[in-house]
Amino acid sequence: MSGNTIDLSLIDVWKEYRRNAGRRADAFWALQEISFDVPCGAALGVIGRNGAGKSTLLKLLAGITAPTRGRIVIHGTVAALIEVGSGFHPELTGRENVFLSGAILGMGRREIAAKLESIVDFAGVGPFIDTPVKWYSSGMYVRLGFAVAAHLEADVLLVDEVLAVGDAEFQVKCLQRIQELRDRGVTSLFISHDLTAVERLCDSAILIEAGKIAASGAPAEVVAAYHRRLALWDPTSGETTIDSPRSGIALTNVLLRSPDDPKAVAFSSGAPLTIAVRYAASRPIANVEFEVRYYSPDGKTRIAAPSTAESRQQPLDVQPPGGVVEFHCPALPLKRGSYSIGAVVRDKTTTKVLAWWDGDTRLYVSSGPATDAQLYIPHSWRIIPDSEKAAGVSASARPPA
Amino acid sequence: MSSRPVTVFEPPDLRRLRPLAALRRLAAARDLFVTLSLHRISVRYRRSRLGIFWAVIQPVAMMLVFTLMFTVLRAKPAGDVPFPLFAYCGLIPWTMFSSGLYNASTALTSHAGLLTKVSFPREILPLTYVVAGLVDMSIASLVLTGLMIWFGVPLQLTALWAIVAVVLLTGLLIGLGLLLSAAQVRFRDVGLAMPVLVQVWLFATPVLYPLSAARASLPEHLYWLYRLNPMAGIVDTFRGGVVLHQAPDLGAIVGSAAVVTILLPVAYVYFKHVELTMADVV
Repeated sequence: MSGNTIDLSLIDVWKEYRRNAGRRADAFWALQEISFDVPCGAALGVIGRNGAGKSTLLKLLAGITAPTRGRIVIHGTVAALIEVGSGFHPELTGRENVFLSGAILGMGRREIAAKLESIVDFAGVGPFIDTPVKWYSSGMYVRLGFAVAAHLEADVLLVDEVLAVGDAEFQVKCLQRIQELRDRGVTSLFISHDLTAVERLCDSAILIEAGKIAASGAPAEVVAAYHRRLALWDPTSGETTIDSPRSGIALTNVLLRSPDDPKAVAFSSGAPLTIAVRYAASRPIANVEFEVRYYSPDGKTRIAAPSTAESRQQPLDVQPPGGVVEFHCPALPLKRGSYSIGAVVRDKTTTKVLAWWDGDTRLYVSSGPATDAQLYIPHSWRIIPDSEKAAGVSASARPPA
Repeated sequence: MSSRPVTVFEPPDLRRLRPLAALRRLAAARDLFVTLSLHRISVRYRRSRLGIFWAVIQPVAMMLVFTLMFTVLRAKPAGDVPFPLFAYCGLIPWTMFSSGLYNASTALTSHAGLLTKVSFPREILPLTYVVAGLVDMSIASLVLTGLMIWFGVPLQLTALWAIVAVVLLTGLLIGLGLLLSAAQVRFRDVGLAMPVLVQVWLFATPVLYPLSAARASLPEHLYWLYRLNPMAGIVDTFRGGVVLHQAPDLGAIVGSAAVVTILLPVAYVYFKHVELTMADVV
């Protein structure tokens, strides 16, 4: 198991599609001259806008369709977490569908039987396993589908947007399972809009734009390149313009990190969190204010943390070419769930928004003290029994330990 | 890691097609084949009151209609064998053929969702319908046994010829299923043509009349053409062995065998060639 063997390699791969079945004039290239290698045990992230060709790439790697030109060589067995619930039949029970879907994804009957308990457990559908899946809630359906796929044994793992399924708790489970496979040395390829997850889980990344590789390298660099392009992208012409927008500042990336564990994919209530907001400026701008926002999926919890909230913090001046504003939260007050992180920068005097973060940064809060409340607020406490009142004059005067 | 399998994906090219390697991949996917076949059988009649009896209802209904028709016409096409038994015994392989053809030819287009999301040897889909057809035929054959007892027709050693007929029928259905299902992905005309095709094919096959009647009434060159229909030899052999206690018409059965032998490899190569890009057009 030498570390430098190549598990997955694409050599000048092209893929042509026709907009209209059959007519040659309508042909277009969904992918052009794609070449890259993924070494054994490494993880490659693939990012890009919708329609850039990411899913086509994954279909080629999964063997669903053949390239029009070029060559793809894969060493080892492939498992594709492309569409969960593949092959589910509504009339069949959960148990029967596990066998059906498992077989379609390439598992043997004996293998599925051995893993059935673990699959059911992962999906959390225990009492309903002998109920036809047409009576499942959509959440249960999706969870069972992913649970089957997550139990595939393979040398090469292909993942497409599966993190977007299920509720927050399940998403954390999925991320942890993928991390587990990564730790086991499975070679993997991720296609995701969740750029934070790509940065956490991948060793390298490529950016695909209009069917071509636009950038490749370390995940942080490629994600930053993606955001530069997004920020400078003019939706009316569909072109990436070279000039900065009129405001002179753009937010190019928002990253989450745990000061305790740099590899963490999920965070705990009450644990510290650092949010780094990267900006690019084309001219010096004085007196600006940055702000990060937390949105819960139901939209009920919206928390803003501006950089000038406390009076001792002065408005900032930014200089080209750019930099990072770090927000540090000593104890995360959010309960378990999946949150979206937003960021804006505004002119402190006119309060006009100069730029906002339009990427998708997800914050997964996985564990911590159980609470049904909207927020978790850490407190220290002490107890003062009445019986100690008389004797405790000196004790109560002491500062709490 | 030299033990790891190596997979290469390249543009479709007949020169690169390796049918034997494809068959090995099919053999490796036998668990999927078994699971999907069982699924096909168990899902088909689920939530229907009559359940598995539907496998018998179609040939029995056709037998009754034709018995009535020939009684009204006062025709005796079957010779000394009771006509209901004669017709039913011919309808058993015919029903497997006609419903197998319908189901297998739409096997890919009815699973478009799977084709575009998961990779597996696609020939498994039409094949599972052939398996389901074999199961239905076994059930319909139980009724045939009942009819034979009722009419006092004994089973003789010639019935073993039915095995030859069923093997050829299975091969024919696999070949046509592969060919038609793959063509249906590109040309939906296949599905539309199927009812007409099956209708015409029924009358070009000795189901309601014996093969000898076709030989007697058709001119030499037309009879030669008639025998190119592989179903002629298959139905004649099946019925001749089971209820007429005859050895098959050798010319007819050899003709059927020849058609199946040529059809199978051609169909498989065509299928595997088209398979590579069928997810793009399905």
